[in-house]
Amino acid sequence: MNYQPKFDRRSFLAGSAAAFGGLSLGFHLPLGDTAAAAEMEPEVNAWVVVKPDETVVIRIARSEMGQGTLTGLAQMVAEELDCEWSKVTYEFPTPGENVARKRVWGDFFTAGSQGIRSSNELVRKGGAAARMMLVAAAAADWKVPVAECVAADGKITHTASNRTTTYGKVAGAAAKVEPPTDIKLKDPKDWKIIGKGVKRLDTPDKTQGKTVYGIDIRLPGMLYASLKACPVNGGKIKSFDAAKIADRKGVKKVVQVEDYGVAVIADTWWHAKTALDDLPIVWDEGPSAKVSSETIAAWLKEGLDSNDGLVGNKGGDVDAALAGAAKKVEAVYAYPYQHHVTMEPQNATVLYTTDKCEVWCSTQNGEAALATASEASGVPVPKCEVYKTFLGGGFGRRATSQDYVRSAVMIAKEMPGTPVKTLWTREEDMTHGWYHPVTQCKMTAGLDKDNNLVAIHYRVSGQSILAGVMPARMQDGKDPATFSGFYAGGAEAVYGYSVPNILVDHSMRNPHLHPGFWRGVNINHNAIYIECFMDELAKEVGMDPLEFRRKLMQQHPLHLASLNHVAEHGDWGKPLPAGSGRGLAQAMAFGSYVAACAEVTVTGNSVKINRIVAATNPGYGVNPAQIERQVSGSFVYGLTGLFLGGIEVKDGRVVQENFDTYDMMRIAQMPEVRTTVLPTGGFWGGVGEPTICVAAPAVLNAITAATGKRYRTFPLRNHGLTMV
Amino acid sequence: MVKSNRKNAARRMSRRQLLGAVAGVVAAIRVAPARATPASMQEAIRNVVGEAQVTKGKVHLDVPVLVDNGNTVPLSIEVESPMTATDYVKAIHVFNELNPLPNVISVHLGPRAGRAKVSTRFRLADTQTVVAIAEMSDGTFWSASADVVVTLQACLETL
Amino acid sequence: MARTLINVPKTAKRGDVIEIKTLISHIMETGFRHDSVGKKVPRNIIAYFTCTYNGEEIFRADLFPAIAANPFITFFTVATESGTIAFEWEGDNGFHETASATITVE
Repeated sequence: MNYQPKFDRRSFLAGSAAAFGGLSLGFHLPLGDTAAAAEMEPEVNAWVVVKPDETVVIRIARSEMGQGTLTGLAQMVAEELDCEWSKVTYEFPTPGENVARKRVWGDFFTAGSQGIRSSNELVRKGGAAARMMLVAAAAADWKVPVAECVAADGKITHTASNRTTTYGKVAGAAAKVEPPTDIKLKDPKDWKIIGKGVKRLDTPDKTQGKTVYGIDIRLPGMLYASLKACPVNGGKIKSFDAAKIADRKGVKKVVQVEDYGVAVIADTWWHAKTALDDLPIVWDEGPSAKVSSETIAAWLKEGLDSNDGLVGNKGGDVDAALAGAAKKVEAVYAYPYQHHVTMEPQNATVLYTTDKCEVWCSTQNGEAALATASEASGVPVPKCEVYKTFLGGGFGRRATSQDYVRSAVMIAKEMPGTPVKTLWTREEDMTHGWYHPVTQCKMTAGLDKDNNLVAIHYRVSGQSILAGVMPARMQDGKDPATFSGFYAGGAEAVYGYSVPNILVDHSMRNPHLHPGFWRGVNINHNAIYIECFMDELAKEVGMDPLEFRRKLMQQHPLHLASLNHVAEHGDWGKPLPAGSGRGLAQAMAFGSYVAACAEVTVTGNSVKINRIVAATNPGYGVNPAQIERQVSGSFVYGLTGLFLGGIEVKDGRVVQENFDTYDMMRIAQMPEVRTTVLPTGGFWGGVGEPTICVAAPAVLNAITAATGKRYRTFPLRNHGLTMV
Repeated sequence: MVKSNRKNAARRMSRRQLLGAVAGVVAAIRVAPARATPASMQEAIRNVVGEAQVTKGKVHLDVPVLVDNGNTVPLSIEVESPMTATDYVKAIHVFNELNPLPNVISVHLGPRAGRAKVSTRFRLADTQTVVAIAEMSDGTFWSASADVVVTLQACLETL
Repeated sequence: MARTLINVPKTAKRGDVIEIKTLISHIMETGFRHDSVGKKVPRNIIAYFTCTYNGEEIFRADLFPAIAANPFITFFTVATESGTIAFEWEGDNGFHETASATITVE
């Protein structure tokens, strides 16, 4: 790949940051001349660059969207490399470089709580290999056997003669060493960097405003585009009257975008947006214009009793057991559509020519953005490039679809040779999302005469994400993600209770809104369904909710351990004044066992969440301090969704357009969150996603404990409840 | 033109029957899942080449190295051949590993083609290997394969 | 009547190898998809494509569900004589479509 970097443009962006360490962009400058590259940047291997001043630059393939993966991955490389953590900095290779180097950095996809989990072995081996090559170079220089040398904290020592050298001094020679094939990783008990709450690598730049997000990209001569797609998802554009805005200041072009939208390209974004607002457009809204939240709810309700259930978990004979049960308990819950509300609206900056297509964007899937850029532009992949900026929020929105890349490329194609930044308005972003899918759940439980839970049927009715996003992953028409937290076995999302007769099935109903992966995905509503209904059952038999659960969890020790921990540390059972209550919830998702004990005080309709005690067992905790922050952050997200979220549909359109109707939790409302990381070892569970799911059910159960009222439909603002 | 159509129709019938039989064979080997496997691709290839040896070479398979959602992927195959009356490419067959069915397309050429190159667009369900096999007039088989990475990924637990 | 788009050079020198491009609008329903309530959508594809040059078959293709919607096929042939290049598509549910183009070969 002979890309000649346009240094003028880069230095415009990076200021005087010719030094790699100061690059707040974080992406690697591909250098066409490999000889010069070796001098400037002694790459030991694809993962590690060691500079003469001992600075270690670690290559990070995944996207950093606030979740801390950047730091966690760097910790893992640094651990095996055995360098000094204080010398570590980072850079993001581009997807194009990954392709050119035969995907040496593996997968760039950052979602599904997989960043650490699926790359830990790859990156650790990368760090270990680099260390071995550095040692080999030193040994060769000293003409001693490699086995007599040890590497630690950036220094290599020949133990017999006590000669030492540093990584920086041998890095150039190390690059020429044959990469090792037999790589042994450190025993976790020897970890010095992994498992420590080291400070994040991206925080300093973020606090100083140096971090460049997609929305911040500015290139010389850049134009701006504002885009509108048909307000009813799936509808088309019929016509628009560009003549009516022809004389508007700064407007360069009005272009149709595929068959669904129109964009105005102008010299400033404000000129583009205001001109577009005044452009007469005729939409062909299509049949979905008749859809509303009411019609969707009625349709989903049918699915609660229909014959078309796709089975996710089945044990015993639920029908017979329910028929013979001494007592039956039934409840129907409903969880709404949710929007990702990334603080940074969707955007991408594209420079297109027939020979090359370059994209600057915030994305959770760098290679998909690259593939999309190629498909949309018609320029072959090797001549395309994507520069991944830091993300102002991902949460799955920027993983589900690269639609914001595709439309930006289509628009930039209309101005070849000129960079065009397409930035969505908040309204466009809110109404053209890929939403957490809407569902309802009917739960029927059978208890025997001794009040044992002997049968339970969970019927979920609602939208499938895979059917709308990745039909190829469906298993014979079934969406496996629907059953997150309900699985009988496996290593990811196991149901934590033993019930002799169980049936979990899904009646698929896919309305016209795009579904998407919303942090935590299906475990968000599944955990509410499971954990709130468990409390209902406990209440029905007059048992303490913790005891009721414990009885059923004897075969699930890891689920139980997390639950017991939060109950103990959350002072479960200790008396509370009237109007206050505690609630519990536990779940397994994305390989981790999570639990929460929430304590609330309710006065009228005002809910004060006093504190949440949380536990998460992700197997290994690479950065426990970061995990604690992720838990708190995920609670903000989940509780916002519970109290304030909920996307409604009217006349086929999404109703909520901005934060005036889709509010966020505020700092004053944030409870005290005390998190314990309980790494039991032996497996790698995720952190970014699973932790979110226990906040909502724990708080709901606490509200019921405090008030005696049970809420089964959400968001809670619909019941007049507010967080205070 | 009309007479050829009837002749073609007769040929098509027998080809359809043949394909039906082939499909039957493939279906019988494939068990429940709606997904081909590398094994079923090999079976489908064997249905075409029989016991003959397949040699890597002469075939150039052009697919993008990265694809976003796999709905419409450009595909181009060119086979080195003088394309004379006695030395030409008879057919080109394309297979894939992981789509629900192993076959993608089979094209039948002859010396009149002048150039053994064909392009189309196809669907790929997931990251996988695509194989193109050329059948020559002398009965030999040649092949090429390419890996395509489908980048659209699910934010899912790996169940 | 399905829309077809044919690209055949209007003229050619005898012996030239010319490229023919064809496109037909068709959903190419694979038979593996499921509708909004999870029911399987039946297969509906174009399965056969034939091209004749003054009545003589010069190209033939068997299409499978993996071929993308709106099948696009390009191939080559030697310009032998003036005349008609005819195209025929056949598929499920009795689908049948034809098109043709004339070529002058000097």
